[in-house]
Amino acid sequence: MTALESIPERLGIAEPWVEKNGVYWLRTGSLEVRELAKQMNALNARFVTITAYQLPGDEGFRLEYHWDLDGQLLGFPFFVSGNSIDSIYDLCEAADWIEREVHEGFALNFVGREYEPLLLRQDDTPGVNLREEVV
Amino acid sequence: MSYKIPMGPYHPALEEPYKMDMICEGETICDVKLHIGFNFRGIEHLAETRNYIQVIALMERVCGICSNIHTLTLCQAMEQLTGLKPPPRALYIRVVMAELERLHSHVLWAGIAAKLMGFKTMFMTCFALREKVMDTLQAISGNRVNYSMNRIGGVNRDIEDPLALLSVIDQLEREMVRTVIPIFTTSTTAQSRCAGIGVLTREKAISCGVVGPTARASGLPQDIRRAAPYAAYSELEFDVPVQTDGDVRARLLVRALEIMESCRILRQALTKMPPGEIHVDDGKIVFTAGTAVSRVEAPRGEVMYSVSWKENSRNPSRVHVRTPTFANMPAIRWMALGARLADTPLIQASIDPCYSCTDR
Repeated sequence: MTALESIPERLGIAEPWVEKNGVYWLRTGSLEVRELAKQMNALNARFVTITAYQLPGDEGFRLEYHWDLDGQLLGFPFFVSGNSIDSIYDLCEAADWIEREVHEGFALNFVGREYEPLLLRQDDTPGVNLREEVV
Repeated sequence: MSYKIPMGPYHPALEEPYKMDMICEGETICDVKLHIGFNFRGIEHLAETRNYIQVIALMERVCGICSNIHTLTLCQAMEQLTGLKPPPRALYIRVVMAELERLHSHVLWAGIAAKLMGFKTMFMTCFALREKVMDTLQAISGNRVNYSMNRIGGVNRDIEDPLALLSVIDQLEREMVRTVIPIFTTSTTAQSRCAGIGVLTREKAISCGVVGPTARASGLPQDIRRAAPYAAYSELEFDVPVQTDGDVRARLLVRALEIMESCRILRQALTKMPPGEIHVDDGKIVFTAGTAVSRVEAPRGEVMYSVSWKENSRNPSRVHVRTPTFANMPAIRWMALGARLADTPLIQASIDPCYSCTDR
């Protein structure tokens, strides 16, 4: 079994990978993002980025976490109904800046960390940039 | 007693605005805090207000050095959403543009590194070499910075006589082998300023998620052109230079060797370029709703675009750009720890940072 094939089992996910245009996607269901980060660390996967999307109406947000495993890009979508999700910064230092960027762009809170300004300068409000309605 | 020395946001050692707050004891750096955002333009938000033609021109302006790479990555993502596949000749032209861009970026970096070492004659040599590459890019595209070469389903301009460009490649390679590489690898000035300076260990490179030459200089053999080939890279032979020392010299060597590999790729692409159309005759472009992800290997490392489209829309609903400097910059902190204050301009420059990319 390859490292890629072993990931759903490691994460306790029954559904297999879905490959789309070179990206391997896995539905995360009730998986905790911190558990995912721990497993990716164990596999020596390289953290790539988090892409945040605001969903229509009151549906919240979709956060796509990407890791690279030996050149294969892995995608893990997480749905956030409120305004917060656990931070993985303490497990994955590469996630520091992108968590700060998503916080500033969408006013999302990554629980368990503190923020310093990244892209927004003094007196700017988190969420004014990419979020449709500022909270 | 420790004290704080700020460098930037506007400083002679920085090419663009950002700020390093260095905590020093004597001449030794004990900690570094990085501040970016001085160039923030909100381009990702602007992209949501542009249609599929305008957004290409907008994203070309994310970066003044690797402008072509941004439109290439964006167009690859939009091609996934439209189902348009570029013809083979267009894929080769994309490789030629990407490698010429890598050449001019790496030679420009070598010049700036030489200047920061106090080696100004080498700076002039590198910039004279770079000018030849810029002339070639201008001859192909008509432009020196924003080339406007990529479009959905191909490229905008043909390379009418590919073999005529071989002489430029020969000239550049000859000058690299005869002058630039020997001086950078053997001169006492370069050795004393670069060897053992600004070390990023392999373990730290992995945990920081660094990419491109910065990663390859710390022993990580990652290159999107090899791992997940795009355009015509799967049909071309090349090596991925890797060094293990993780210092400024290793990053310099990786880029020097990559210049040679780019010349090798260009020679193959120019001689093997197939005849035919340079873009698909599209008529009306129709996007399917959904999200597409595209990655390419820019001169500084992996660029990733996530592009999302809504049903019947002319504008993207989201364009997220992860640039290589965004991934590499936090690692400067680890490179600078324990270094001498006087080495920090060169250490921060050794990742070839692009702040306009980082801030977007």
